[in-house]
Amino acid sequence: MAAELALLTPEITLLLTIVFALVAEMLRLPRIALGVALSGLLLASGLSLPLLGLDSSVFGGTYRIDGLSVWAKLILLPATALSILLARAELGGSDREGTVYVLLMLVTLGSLVLASAGDTMLLVLGVLLSGLGSFALVAYPRDDAATEAAMKFFVFASVTGAVMIFGLSYWFGGTGTTLLSDLSRLEDSRLIASVGLVAVIVGLGYKASLVPFHFWAPDAYQGAPVSIAAYMSVVPKIGAILALAQVVRDLPLGSDWPLLVAVISVLTMTYGYLAALVQGKVVRLLAYSSIAQAGYFLLAIVAVGTSPLATTSLIIFSAAYAVMNLGAFAVVMCIGRSLDDFAAAGRRNVAIGIAMVVFLLSLAGIPPLAGFVGKFLLFGAAMDAGFTWLAIVAILNSVLSLAVYLRIVVVMYRQADTQAAAAPVSLPLVNLVIVVAFAFTLGIGLAAQALLGPMG
Amino acid sequence: MLPIVSITLFLPLLGALLVMALRRSPASIAHLIGIVTSGLTLLGALWMWSRGVNETGFAQVEELAWMPAIGAAYRVGVDGISLPLVLLSAVLFFLSFIYSAKVKQRPHAYVVLMLLLETAAIGTFTALDAILFYVFFEVSLVSMYFMIAGWGHEDRQRAALMFFIYTLLGSLPLLLAILGMYLGSEPQTFDMRAWIDNPPLSGSAAMLALAAMLFTFAVKIPVFPFHTWLPAAHVQAPAAGSVILAGVMLKFGTYGLVRFSLQMTPEAFREAGIIVLAFGVVAALYGAFAALAQSDLKRMIALTSVNHMGYVVVGVAIAALAVDPAVRATALDGSVLQMVSHGLVTGALFLLVGMLQDRAHTREMDRFGGLLKVTPILGWSFVLAAFASLGLPGLAHFPAEFQIFLATLRVEPVAVVVILGIVVTAGLYLRAIGKVFLGEPREQWIGMKDLNAREVLSLAPLLILIVVVGIAPALLLDVIHKTTAALQF
Repeated sequence: MAAELALLTPEITLLLTIVFALVAEMLRLPRIALGVALSGLLLASGLSLPLLGLDSSVFGGTYRIDGLSVWAKLILLPATALSILLARAELGGSDREGTVYVLLMLVTLGSLVLASAGDTMLLVLGVLLSGLGSFALVAYPRDDAATEAAMKFFVFASVTGAVMIFGLSYWFGGTGTTLLSDLSRLEDSRLIASVGLVAVIVGLGYKASLVPFHFWAPDAYQGAPVSIAAYMSVVPKIGAILALAQVVRDLPLGSDWPLLVAVISVLTMTYGYLAALVQGKVVRLLAYSSIAQAGYFLLAIVAVGTSPLATTSLIIFSAAYAVMNLGAFAVVMCIGRSLDDFAAAGRRNVAIGIAMVVFLLSLAGIPPLAGFVGKFLLFGAAMDAGFTWLAIVAILNSVLSLAVYLRIVVVMYRQADTQAAAAPVSLPLVNLVIVVAFAFTLGIGLAAQALLGPMG
Repeated sequence: MLPIVSITLFLPLLGALLVMALRRSPASIAHLIGIVTSGLTLLGALWMWSRGVNETGFAQVEELAWMPAIGAAYRVGVDGISLPLVLLSAVLFFLSFIYSAKVKQRPHAYVVLMLLLETAAIGTFTALDAILFYVFFEVSLVSMYFMIAGWGHEDRQRAALMFFIYTLLGSLPLLLAILGMYLGSEPQTFDMRAWIDNPPLSGSAAMLALAAMLFTFAVKIPVFPFHTWLPAAHVQAPAAGSVILAGVMLKFGTYGLVRFSLQMTPEAFREAGIIVLAFGVVAALYGAFAALAQSDLKRMIALTSVNHMGYVVVGVAIAALAVDPAVRATALDGSVLQMVSHGLVTGALFLLVGMLQDRAHTREMDRFGGLLKVTPILGWSFVLAAFASLGLPGLAHFPAEFQIFLATLRVEPVAVVVILGIVVTAGLYLRAIGKVFLGEPREQWIGMKDLNAREVLSLAPLLILIVVVGIAPALLLDVIHKTTAALQF
């Protein structure tokens, strides 16, 4: 038991951090809560490092400690720390500031449970844990837009969650256990395997904002504070995608599930970028872009079990996506939510302009930036698994994505004809986040081996 | 041994970082850094030239582990096909920096982008790792997009956007082909040398990879009907941008055609050779006739690029079809030399049009007349460059085109109809010279100033090189032939 708990030190550290931060918040000491949260997250990230290279599980196989789950910690915990910095810059000084930090960490804990799930019950637990916190975060501003967005989000989550639990009961009935590793027993009962998988895709797909379960996302991002939108588009999404990888890993091969996932991937990418092409608000544009990016993640899911590149590409793209998306949202915090706010912004503040261009080009997958390395490996994984057509669709979507992201770039470097737009505000904490995200967006391409190496 | 390839490759990047660090300095400092850095890069390229190439394979190879887990590494090196192109790039960038010293509008950003472009160009020609090649290939797009969008002419935003999206659409199939060859190679690696020595794909897989690559390079070269981005981008780009676009970046396409399509999927290329040849012939003729129909001087020169690059495609296709190794070597010699000649000649022509536009603020041929009397240096320079472009013996294009046509006659005599293109280009250049430079000068141009020292300095080396390559092509051909003669496929 003690040995098992030792493997869980990052999660336990995170949990204790949440408790301490909550206590600090109850004592009305938001600054202390912030300090506790940041140091706790960094400590938990550091404690995850020794776990690299392990492939084991705890609690009778229900909670996995493998490459995916450890890298999930190493990516999501620092990403949460960056989000907290953004939240501090945006919501600092407001009422219940500390609750935001606590809720953010709670959602992260749920996402980590998702990414490490070895059991259907943990899957449910993760979805609920990360869901509950998210509703409260979206509703945080307590205005009409936020309340409506949170309501929509909540109803959506309840329905999809119920569908998922219903479908999982089929798997339980078919295998007699809730362990994912026993799913191979469904070899001969295709129907049960499919019903359960569809249900899981519904439940996790809403969280990862896959089409057609994405409707809540643009409204929620638009209604929520920008820092919360940034967080929501990164942490719970990556958690859900990794959970999907944990599930399909154990599905019996020979069934058609990869095709189903591939079709959803095509829908998600294409719809996301087409919708992004007509948005007038940068936050909504980035919301649709993050929907489309979720479709790219699925290229690796399709290849899980058939290509060794699947895990690699999933981890590298997760890291790349986390930094470039957080960076882009951080720039939005400096400049403004509307596309008009971006007019000539790149000329007025050169540094932020360059940073935004780098984030957007990375999202579009232009080399040598982080997004390129991730997408390159994703394409490779899909082709290795025999899904060349999917890679071709993804590549065509990359062209579409360039048109989407260049919409912002073009506006940013337009001649400054109006003085209406205000100069970008400079917030020290946001600048720090931008610098960190920028460094990683440039560096992940060069240092991909650092991520690849430990996985062998 | 000093890693001179890497030093040459990353010098411009260092210069770019330096300019960024000194972004509050006066414009002259930025331009000075640009000129000095590209001058040092040229010295580096000359140093590489003095070290020469090997009889077989690549010379001056430098390697560094990058992502061993997936077989990708930093690998650079040169052979007789890439070395002349590296030297050409270094020359054109250096001269472009001298010419651009007049840019007053956001000079720091301009120099940074140009230097970034130089690293991308040299990187594309020296990369021996497919990922590295693709990275440089794409980085050039980003820099050129901002060049056109930031310093172009009237309709620059649209042209830049079209250029970026079109060529990105063009280059992504290459990514698929690279992945396909990676997955097909045993052991899996991105080492281009391994792919050349041992083509990883065969049968229909190779044909698919070839089709993807041909699409990519056809957009880049550009071959009719994938050329529509070119006139828009060229006309809108600033003069130095046009020089680099035509002189260096179009060569990415033809270089890729040789390095990837021909060397990595040789069997498939031989089967599809006749189709590629047809595309080349059509492109060469189409480019010539389309150029003939233009009244905008810059657009006309841009379209003659389609014609000249068409000859290169013909040469490469003939090399694939040829059975006799000697004929194959001749065709490839001509193609590679044609790439260099085109860079020199078109570079000079675009610079001249840029100088003309700086003075007259128009590019319409009909609005000029008699400029030879007003601006004799500019006029005679244009005449020399135009004669070189139409393939006059003794000037740079002649030895290249001659070899291509010679090999064509030996392998596929019908394709020699492409020679008609020369007649058409001759006609269009003579017409342009007549309209712009001959006759009595119009009143409005009487006070036009002739070239100043900076302009002469940026132009004269190109004109000298045009003559030198025309008279003594062996200077280049010795290096080129060393590699082409030894190619096995």
